[in-house]
Amino acid sequence: MIVHYLNQFFAGLGGEEAAGHEPVRLDGPQGPGRALAAAGASPDVTLACGDDRFGEHEADSLRTLLGWLDELRPDVLICGPAFGAGRYGYACGVLAREAGRRGIPVVTAMTPDSPGLMAAEGAAYIVPTSSNVGGMKAVVPIVAGLASRLASGAPIGDADQEGYLPRGLRTMVRADRTGARRAIDQLLAKLAGDLHTEVGPTRDRVPPAPALKDMAQARLALVTEAGCVPQGNPDRLPTRHANTWLRYPIDDRDSLAGGAFESVHAGFDTTAANADPNRLVPLDAARALEREGAFGVLHGAFYTTSGVDTPVAAAARFGREIAAELRAADVAAVILTGT
Amino acid sequence: MVSTLADLEIATFAVDEVVEGTQTGWSDGRLTVSLPQLAVGAGLPALAEATVEVVRPGDPVRISNVLDAVVPTVKPDALASTFPGALGTGERGCTGRTNRLDGVAVLSACDWERSGFVGPDELPDSIVDMAGPGADRSPFGATTNLVLRFVPANGAHVETVDDAIRRETLRVARELAAATIGLGPRDVETFRWPPTDHADASLPAVVAIVQVASEGPLTDTFWLGEPMRGFEPFEVDPRAILDGWLISGAYDWAAVRNVTAAYQRAPLLRDLLAGHGERLRCAGATLAPGYLDTAEEKQRSAELSAELAARLGADGAICTTFSSGNSHTDTMLTVRACERRGIKTVALVCETNGGLTDHVPEADSLISTGNEDELVAPWTPARVVGTDEPARAGEPVPTWAYLSACSQMGETTWTAVPT
Repeated sequence: MIVHYLNQFFAGLGGEEAAGHEPVRLDGPQGPGRALAAAGASPDVTLACGDDRFGEHEADSLRTLLGWLDELRPDVLICGPAFGAGRYGYACGVLAREAGRRGIPVVTAMTPDSPGLMAAEGAAYIVPTSSNVGGMKAVVPIVAGLASRLASGAPIGDADQEGYLPRGLRTMVRADRTGARRAIDQLLAKLAGDLHTEVGPTRDRVPPAPALKDMAQARLALVTEAGCVPQGNPDRLPTRHANTWLRYPIDDRDSLAGGAFESVHAGFDTTAANADPNRLVPLDAARALEREGAFGVLHGAFYTTSGVDTPVAAAARFGREIAAELRAADVAAVILTGT
Repeated sequence: MVSTLADLEIATFAVDEVVEGTQTGWSDGRLTVSLPQLAVGAGLPALAEATVEVVRPGDPVRISNVLDAVVPTVKPDALASTFPGALGTGERGCTGRTNRLDGVAVLSACDWERSGFVGPDELPDSIVDMAGPGADRSPFGATTNLVLRFVPANGAHVETVDDAIRRETLRVARELAAATIGLGPRDVETFRWPPTDHADASLPAVVAIVQVASEGPLTDTFWLGEPMRGFEPFEVDPRAILDGWLISGAYDWAAVRNVTAAYQRAPLLRDLLAGHGERLRCAGATLAPGYLDTAEEKQRSAELSAELAARLGADGAICTTFSSGNSHTDTMLTVRACERRGIKTVALVCETNGGLTDHVPEADSLISTGNEDELVAPWTPARVVGTDEPARAGEPVPTWAYLSACSQMGETTWTAVPT
């Protein structure tokens, strides 16, 4: 079974005046669904919702739409194409994410800068489109092809090959030559001026933060990936491949005593660190500088995880979560100790 | 090329079938193994127990706690030069004849944690599946494996136990290959170093920078039997790597560390030697340390590797990587140092779900050997070999647990693509 999601306009419910339209469930293909049908992916059911309705009553609208999806259990959900329409793209992305989390394969289409792309959080195959409906003819066969294969459980190739935007996953596949041979071929090509790579540059470059304007007033926090925890690791911080971070109060401490704290980091010899945990989290030095007035005040807790073989995606999440908490606590600067 | 006494000749004997018998021998693709004759673990006080099992592709078996994988190898004209230093006490030559078995591997296994030598989770899982959804992850899912399971003696020192295990594993590998002495191989490859054949000077000169890590007991790499801790980059005869001078004793991240077989096979070195005079000039190989502790050590070592490559006249370099995370920085700095000297460089790296741990702009030509974070569907083997624990049976298994699955020496065809 194929279910198709459209906004009020493409479902034929009306233009901007119908943007507040409640979610509806219609039989068979509607609007662009007919083009999908002609391309081999005929929607059995069409769900539609006004753009404003979705945006202003997201939780309610989602509840209704997901209720229908739970009842229908489609083999694939197609959303859009939304092209450059921001509200529509967002609705497609959110519905795609929630359906994807329910295990329903999803295909959608929108411009690569649509807010729907972020909203989908990698849960859908998103085919890039032009900003207006003129791109319909080009995108429909790609969406229909992906949807039919997802519905039948057939494998989907890589993003370049299939024409969708990378979902942020790296999937293991077999190449036609060994890594050694590819390395030699790629080097000889590079020497001849023909540059290729199998791993593109990271987009996550962090520029250094600007210098603090007023250090004397700044609240400073200590953060570490050295796996520093109270002796005995009461909260079971994983020693490697950590999936979490922890926070420990230091309000009442001037230093971290050996025997009271330890490192559970599995990536280095912790003997010296355990003898003096201040070398993991420099509380002793920070307190001395605090007394001297080198900065305003030390934040009342330190933050810790064990940074060994941590997937970059998990590490990025730790960073976001810790930074959000520090920002809320008005922390202006962090000393981050690494191993 | 007409081979001379100074060449290394690797003679390959195919093994299509391994059977147990009363006398170890090889005939026409059939390897007969006499387990009593092998007497694994006999007379070694560091080992409480040693058991041997033959497992074959398609068997519903998971091998766990795998330490190393070795290609059965013997120097038929100089037995004591087989795995020189690590096993053999004879002359350290990497010339003359070497006999190899193809299609069979010797795997050592030891549950260090259960024996009390390491803490929980200190050494990550190391798995080979002979069937099920993960059977194609490790190249050793496709070979018939003689699995040697060792149990350390109570109170024995970890390095003594590890040394005994390594020697026994290499000895069994030598004994099996010795069954071919005097017999005719399937094929013989000849490796000459330095190349004497005239090569067109306009062809680009290429150096292989092979990264290895040696961090201490259970995470060491051995050169002629000695742990390589603290070594500086040096030039090696590529034949020495192919001929068993470099032995693995590192048991961390299974998918991305180099097992001994990775050095014995070293397709990168073979392909560079084979391409000499045709597409390129092979300018040699160097060993470089990875997993160095400090930024200064990493920077210094990267510079030394690049200097060495420049001294060898390299126009281009290929960097391999040992393990991941920390060592990716060693690779990246080496790429940068080479590029800054005008040496065009390609590196082999394994990815994670979130990309690379480190990536410098100069590393603009990378080979991906896979995504070590990818999960393999749950499988419940009929039997687990190498441990008494369930070994993730019925659970999804991350690719990093599969031995050599993402080897950054470039032996396999695995790669990762954006999806």
